[in-house]
Amino acid sequence: MSTAQTTSTGTFLKFLSPWLVGTSVLVLLPVIASLVLSFTSWDGLSIHDIHWVGSANYRQIFEVDSSREVGPNDPWYWRLLGGIPKDAQFYKSVYNTTIFAVFAVPLGLAAALGLALLLNQPLRGISAFRTIYYLPYILSGVGTILLWQWLFNPDVGLINLFLKYLVTLWTWTSGLFGHQTSPWSPPAWLYSPQGCKPAVILMNLWGMGGAMLIFLAALQNVPPHLYAAAQLDGANRRQKFRCITLPQISPAILFNLIAGLSGAVRSFKIPYVLQHWSQNDGLLFYMLYVYRSAFESPARIGYASALIWILFVVLFVLTALTLLTSRRWVHYEVR
Amino acid sequence: MRTLLQYLGLILVAILVGMPVWWAINTSLQPLESVYSSHFQIWPDHPQWSNYTDAVSRLPFLRFLFNSLIITTTAVFGTVLSTSMAGYVFARLRWTGRSWCFGILMGTLLIPSQVYLIPHFLMFERLGWLNTYKPLIVPGFLAMDVFYVFLFRQFFRSVPLAYTEAALVDGATHWTIYRRILLPMSKPVVITVIVMNAVFHWQDLMTPLIYLNDIEKFPLALGLRMYQTMDGDWVNHLMAASLLSLIPVTLLFFLTQRYLMRGLVLTEK
Repeated sequence: MSTAQTTSTGTFLKFLSPWLVGTSVLVLLPVIASLVLSFTSWDGLSIHDIHWVGSANYRQIFEVDSSREVGPNDPWYWRLLGGIPKDAQFYKSVYNTTIFAVFAVPLGLAAALGLALLLNQPLRGISAFRTIYYLPYILSGVGTILLWQWLFNPDVGLINLFLKYLVTLWTWTSGLFGHQTSPWSPPAWLYSPQGCKPAVILMNLWGMGGAMLIFLAALQNVPPHLYAAAQLDGANRRQKFRCITLPQISPAILFNLIAGLSGAVRSFKIPYVLQHWSQNDGLLFYMLYVYRSAFESPARIGYASALIWILFVVLFVLTALTLLTSRRWVHYEVR
Repeated sequence: MRTLLQYLGLILVAILVGMPVWWAINTSLQPLESVYSSHFQIWPDHPQWSNYTDAVSRLPFLRFLFNSLIITTTAVFGTVLSTSMAGYVFARLRWTGRSWCFGILMGTLLIPSQVYLIPHFLMFERLGWLNTYKPLIVPGFLAMDVFYVFLFRQFFRSVPLAYTEAALVDGATHWTIYRRILLPMSKPVVITVIVMNAVFHWQDLMTPLIYLNDIEKFPLALGLRMYQTMDGDWVNHLMAASLLSLIPVTLLFFLTQRYLMRGLVLTEK
């Protein structure tokens, strides 16, 4: 039986017109427009200056000059490309974003799952802890990014103060045993090409509350009788976790993996707020590059649209791949 | 013994999570000289509360706050209204082309919003909407956040038809049914959508960055950037302003927490 009720067109138009207008004018039309624009060259000013350039934008983005040798001081990933890329900034942003996603997503998932397991205990006051762990996720924004920037201050930030304290302690103890330690200089974190990515990966970890809550909900839905049965069979805690908990919450892992990946690939706030010349473009993430191409002069609307479509396709493929491989490891209860 | 260890772990993580906030509060209450001195204080010896009033008056902080409130409340109102109405039509009305439209709806769910970025800019620019709040608000009124449409549809579908049939027989309009029966019933969903969307607009940086030029029109996200670019000279004020910007979201969270946890779990399914 259908759950719908018959009705006149007038009523439903009144209700649906916002969505109809929004989807056609603000979704479908822009999707087509951005695809068309990606095959043009345009500075975004006069509509008469739009020139059809075919696939030139895409070719320019990916083009690699293989006639020139990659030098020892060039980025290592240029060797994978087999030459000097024409748009070095594009490959740099892809590299930066990949590094960020590869470290931030698994770390975030592990932390979220760990905390969810910690919270999944029948203890008094557990909801207070849940709130504390979840809050950073809600608060994440320019304000909290600035908090973290200050925490990572190379001279007086808490993190380096702590590291300095640890190093002093280490030097002192090894001095007792007659060892010489080499002099140590604290990491410059957000003010260095090497330190900026570890810093943003760590600060990203702070917002894992969203994934944590989804894990927690999944953990609480695991039927208790499964553990009871395993108990009877003499399973230890590790076995129970591997053979019951993990399969049971695998749909939540899949969801968090896809959401985490697509969030990491599209992150803009962190690199935009924290970019600094001393990083040598170490925080030039993909969306930041898109932003610069489209909205900083000289505006390259066509080029930026092509960048966006590449992102769209990559996100689509990533999600599809994750879903396809998930058949091997995601367990769905048959009801 | 095990319980003790568990509490120890919970408290340790809580301290780690709270660290950035404590450190920021600590900095925000010190005079600038002592911020940059190597003298470490767990809590400032002489908390300098005037930093907060100084921070607020240094830049038009209250203006930024007011702008953020205006943008967020208007956009959220539009979003809740338009997405719940669309959700109602998809859940409770029968019409030709419904499954077709629903297919489009689910399809648009998969498109990352970044794809619209440039066409929206070009469109709104030609409409003369640059440096106004319209680009930040109008998409909300047009049910752009299709995920919420889906959410409302799912919830409305779960309400038995019997609830609304009686009202229909009594001559109630669909508007009455939607407004007086279904919306009040779906309070957890409405609140979840409000919070999710409000947090999104409150924290959004990209949209105001692209569309707004005048400082008097800046929301907090952009205003804080102005505090930041003068960083170093008065980091204690920067921390005070950042902390103040977190208060409204924290308040919203605590006011709605009771419904939120239920709603968030609901949204996952």
